[in-house]
Amino acid sequence: MRKNLPVLLALAALLCAAPARALLTVTAGTDRDTVQIDDNLYLTVTVSGDSASVPEPKLPNMQNFNVYSSGRSQSISIINGKITTSVSFTYMLTPRFLGAQTIPSISVFNGREKAVTSELTVTVVKAAQQPKPQQPAAPRQPAARPQRPSPAARTAAVKGERIFLKAETDRKSAYPGEQINISIKFYTSVPLSSNPQYMPPSFKNLISEDLPPVRNGETEINGTRYAYSEIKAALFALAPGPAQVGPATVIAQVPAQDQIDPFDPNFFQKFMAMSGAQGRSMEFTTDLVKLDIKPLPAGAPASFGGAVGDYTVTAAADRPDARAGEAVNFSVTVSGSGNLKAVIAPKFPDLPDFKVFDTMSSLDVRKDNDVITGKKTFTYILVPRSEGRKTVPPVRFSYFDPRAGEYRELQTEPVTLTVEKGGQAAKSVNFNPGNSGAPVRASGSDIAYVSDRTGRDSLPLLSGAVLSLPWWVHTGPLALLTLSFWLARFNRFKLANPLLFRFRQARSEASRDIDEAEALIKAGKTNEAVALLYDSFLDYLSDKCGLKVSALTMKKAGELIKSRFPKATERSLGEIRELWEALELRHYSPGTAGREGAGDLAKKYSLLLEFLEKELR
Amino acid sequence: MRRLLLALLLALPAAAAAYDRGELAEFNDLYRAGQYEEALEGYRQLIAKEPSNQWGWYNAANALFRLNRMGPAIYHYSRAFTLDPRSQDIRGNLDFALRHTGQRLVPEGAPAALHYFYYIVSERELKALSLLLFWLGCLAWAAGFLLDGNKWSGPACRTAAAAGLLLLCSLAWLGARQTSAFSSAGVVTKAGGTRMLSGPGDNFKTYASAPEGRIVKILDTDDEAYYEIGLPKEGIKGWALKTDIDKI
Repeated sequence: MRKNLPVLLALAALLCAAPARALLTVTAGTDRDTVQIDDNLYLTVTVSGDSASVPEPKLPNMQNFNVYSSGRSQSISIINGKITTSVSFTYMLTPRFLGAQTIPSISVFNGREKAVTSELTVTVVKAAQQPKPQQPAAPRQPAARPQRPSPAARTAAVKGERIFLKAETDRKSAYPGEQINISIKFYTSVPLSSNPQYMPPSFKNLISEDLPPVRNGETEINGTRYAYSEIKAALFALAPGPAQVGPATVIAQVPAQDQIDPFDPNFFQKFMAMSGAQGRSMEFTTDLVKLDIKPLPAGAPASFGGAVGDYTVTAAADRPDARAGEAVNFSVTVSGSGNLKAVIAPKFPDLPDFKVFDTMSSLDVRKDNDVITGKKTFTYILVPRSEGRKTVPPVRFSYFDPRAGEYRELQTEPVTLTVEKGGQAAKSVNFNPGNSGAPVRASGSDIAYVSDRTGRDSLPLLSGAVLSLPWWVHTGPLALLTLSFWLARFNRFKLANPLLFRFRQARSEASRDIDEAEALIKAGKTNEAVALLYDSFLDYLSDKCGLKVSALTMKKAGELIKSRFPKATERSLGEIRELWEALELRHYSPGTAGREGAGDLAKKYSLLLEFLEKELR
Repeated sequence: MRRLLLALLLALPAAAAAYDRGELAEFNDLYRAGQYEEALEGYRQLIAKEPSNQWGWYNAANALFRLNRMGPAIYHYSRAFTLDPRSQDIRGNLDFALRHTGQRLVPEGAPAALHYFYYIVSERELKALSLLLFWLGCLAWAAGFLLDGNKWSGPACRTAAAAGLLLLCSLAWLGARQTSAFSSAGVVTKAGGTRMLSGPGDNFKTYASAPEGRIVKILDTDDEAYYEIGLPKEGIKGWALKTDIDKI
């Protein structure tokens, strides 16, 4: 015994630890134990865990029930920073067989732990012979009850159609978000040889919500007995304007001989269960159903977020008192009838006394009496900043009531919390203290949210501006490059041949000097004018000859000109000597240079230039 | 004064952005409320006003994705991607939508980092960069002619040579991008896909179909009613109605 003591202690420790680790739990229950074959029951599976999200239960294959999802509701509690989540998944079950029917164990697995429910048993009894009074908790079941046929069905029957498909809406005009019920009925007065194939209609400007289950029954139209299957759906329009329901189609095998009695009590089961195509394949379609969607009237309150229907709104905190820094669950619940999926969280008022963390929403939808009802709960996590009595002001919610044709604005009661001074441990909220080392697991993926950026980033803007320039602008740099290339070559040539450029520019510089001298003469500065003409003349001859003429005697200069320009005539040489002497005389004897004499010299120099330009080439 | 002018210049886009944010926020509120058709209409107005606004295309794609119109969603994401390939949101959503239709943004076997670098600038930005490098090269060369004379080792000539080299690189990059998935491409936007015919007309045989959302190469646009399209992965080509395909 002493030898086995450590083993026993270890076992005892494990036994104690096991319940402590069982943090994931799942329970299941039905709203009743006995149900009629033509009725429904609700199955609620509640999954609880110690993290912000819990796994969805995996429903086993249930042959004895048709299963329809009917929403989910979530509650989260955070106590001392420890989070506990409980999610209830609701399913609507339609029995298929009589007798004691078993709902098998339902399991959930969060990657670490697995939890299962125990089996449930439900007794399915025959449908009551007389129509039962309407029950608020369960949807009205039209199966096996004579129904008044629609006018369209009567018209089809009058035409003698043995099999036909009709689609009808309960209204032709509605507001966006207002429920419109559509009924698609498949009538047959002859047995079918196989399971017909149903193809649902397409919707334009509408979204649909199934209204299970498929109703089966029989009716008499103009003396002919028809078996029918009816599929119903709730439609909600998206926007004002035209909306339409496309054709629904049923493909059925119509045999030559009767194979299924349409008035058999189990007609639908046989109808749906049979397989294998026999006989002639026929396609039946409904007509296009057009709807007019009216615009919502003007004058919506500021808190209007698009909700249409009939709603109430309540607000509550999960406890009346808390410590500063401690998380409190604050829930705003919108209940009523309408498209609850599209209801958005009411705008939360500014709360200077609280830190407000993310919103979680849970939806619980019921489809009793073919009306979409339920509640949507928006849960906020509030953390009081300081102690004292703190009040969460009323939350406003408004909706459009389509029956009254007007907007209604509701507000919740203010909620007061008594906040005590918080300890150090309560100042920080740890949403998952027990699993700090646990890895993050992706549970799904989705597209990223829309962006509120405007697309005016500098780089795309700059590139857009550059590309929007006309093409010829981009030839500018090429032209500039060509020009600079030419200029560079020209400069190099000029630097390499200075005498040539001086030779070519001699005339223009001399002309400029003459103009300047004439201006000086007019100003009465004859001496300066003569000096300028003298220097200009010698520079002209120097530029033409490529040698400094002022350093030579007149005779040597004449010889130089003759040698450089052999075609120069004696007359031109004589004229050069004459002007040179005259300028020299006046330059060195300023007293002799009168105003008229200086002017004559300028004219003579000008005429000589014309003459020399022809000879000194 | 110069600083003031610079500040004003920088503040202009910010002011314009603030002005537009109100309208965009309104459409985003519709999206948030689940009114995707209405939000899409708003985003389309935004695109019509500013076709080069990548966020208009991106938000419209999100609305289309929510409406389960995968072909138009991929087309809009692709347009956003060609305008701003650096955005992680655009890349992520495009890849997500492509995976819904059995395609991938990053080709199988290609390193993601290399793919990111390859698409780090849009084709427009690459074209603009090439033009700016051309300008810089020409101006630097011109300055080199005038300032550095014959010396190729001068700073202006060195700048011109560097700009020329970068220009060649950017042109090579641009050339390579012309063969990439999003260049000369289109998206099958018709619900249910499009038929691929052996010629541009209904009298030709249908021998393949391209599913909705598939990115296809557009090989020929000359015909009035038909594009010649190619599916590189399958190695087939054919003719499809222009109305079934939106050119990226």
